[in-house]
Amino acid sequence: MAGGNFDAPETGGKDKKKTKAKGVHIDMTPMVDVIMLLLTFFMLTTTLSAPQLMKISLPKGDVKDKVKVDMGNVLFVRVSDKGNIYFSNGHSDGSESPMEKTDIKNVAKQLESIYAQNNNLLLLLKFDRKMKYSVMSDIFDEISRAKIEKRYAFLKMEPADIEKINAAVG
Amino acid sequence: MAIKKVRDIRKASINIDMTPMVDVIMLLLTFFMLTATFKAAESEAVEVSLPQSIYSDPDNKMRENDVMTLSLTKGGDVFVDVDNYKVREKVFGDQFAIGVYHPDSTSKSEVELKGTVGNKEVKRKIVLLNKASFEKALVDCKTVLRSVEGNPKAEFQVVIKGDKETDYGIVEDLMDSMHETNNKLFSLVTIIKADKKE
Repeated sequence: MAGGNFDAPETGGKDKKKTKAKGVHIDMTPMVDVIMLLLTFFMLTTTLSAPQLMKISLPKGDVKDKVKVDMGNVLFVRVSDKGNIYFSNGHSDGSESPMEKTDIKNVAKQLESIYAQNNNLLLLLKFDRKMKYSVMSDIFDEISRAKIEKRYAFLKMEPADIEKINAAVG
Repeated sequence: MAIKKVRDIRKASINIDMTPMVDVIMLLLTFFMLTATFKAAESEAVEVSLPQSIYSDPDNKMRENDVMTLSLTKGGDVFVDVDNYKVREKVFGDQFAIGVYHPDSTSKSEVELKGTVGNKEVKRKIVLLNKASFEKALVDCKTVLRSVEGNPKAEFQVVIKGDKETDYGIVEDLMDSMHETNNKLFSLVTIIKADKKE
């Protein structure tokens, strides 16, 4: 870095001009040093990427309050303990169509195409208790990205559901 | 004389004008100073590796205060923490205490057995909770917050910081408790992932 050593002005008319020119020149090295330190400090202490939030709302009302849903307007989303996703449509008589396995990357597109046929669908989410939490956040990510009306309910995975999944796989 | 000559040459070549550099650095410094948000060490009591997500909701950001954090660890523990030390003191009995709830009754809490999460030691005082006391704590936190702030409508923003590897069963139990304690709205915390090309 540039040193701050000025030559002592010597006497004589020739040197007077030189001193005048140098009077404007300020040595900024210490200031730059301090600013650099501050800059490093702030750069290392800041957390720039604010965490993202995915909003989830549980249904209002008591657990006891039963809501009647037309089974024809229901889409079951079952996820196995391995994280495999299965879609199946419900029918008004209580039965449901055979399950289709879906890849997580296609969930948003598939939801959109299903909703194009029936816009009043309610998603019934049945997740296996041994499934990983990241799968849940992935599915919510896809549901949030799909341009559909978001209506969903969480249901417990019953042994009958696991049997259905096993039957679909086997 | 020879020495003087050498010094003169050196001085002339080293004299760099630093003004533009200082200008840029000053700008950077101002930027970082203004955007800096300092996190208290206590807010990161438990470290979890968050899942990634593509979707981001611009209207839903984490608040700066009155946040209740529920951290789910790989071992299946739920850590309850609020960012208001007065609330913590009244609910958990200590200004720096943190509540731990282990929903799975068939196993023991990792923190209770080893005092660690993963390999990291939990430095804060731990209050062990069961299902009933966990739900009571959720309700108490809200009532205490309202009395502390003197605002009968004060609410915590409830955020869930889940580890990628947590079993969904823990989340299900947690959602049951939340539903029962009238915490109907909460958010999952994720890290943003760059959108893939479609």
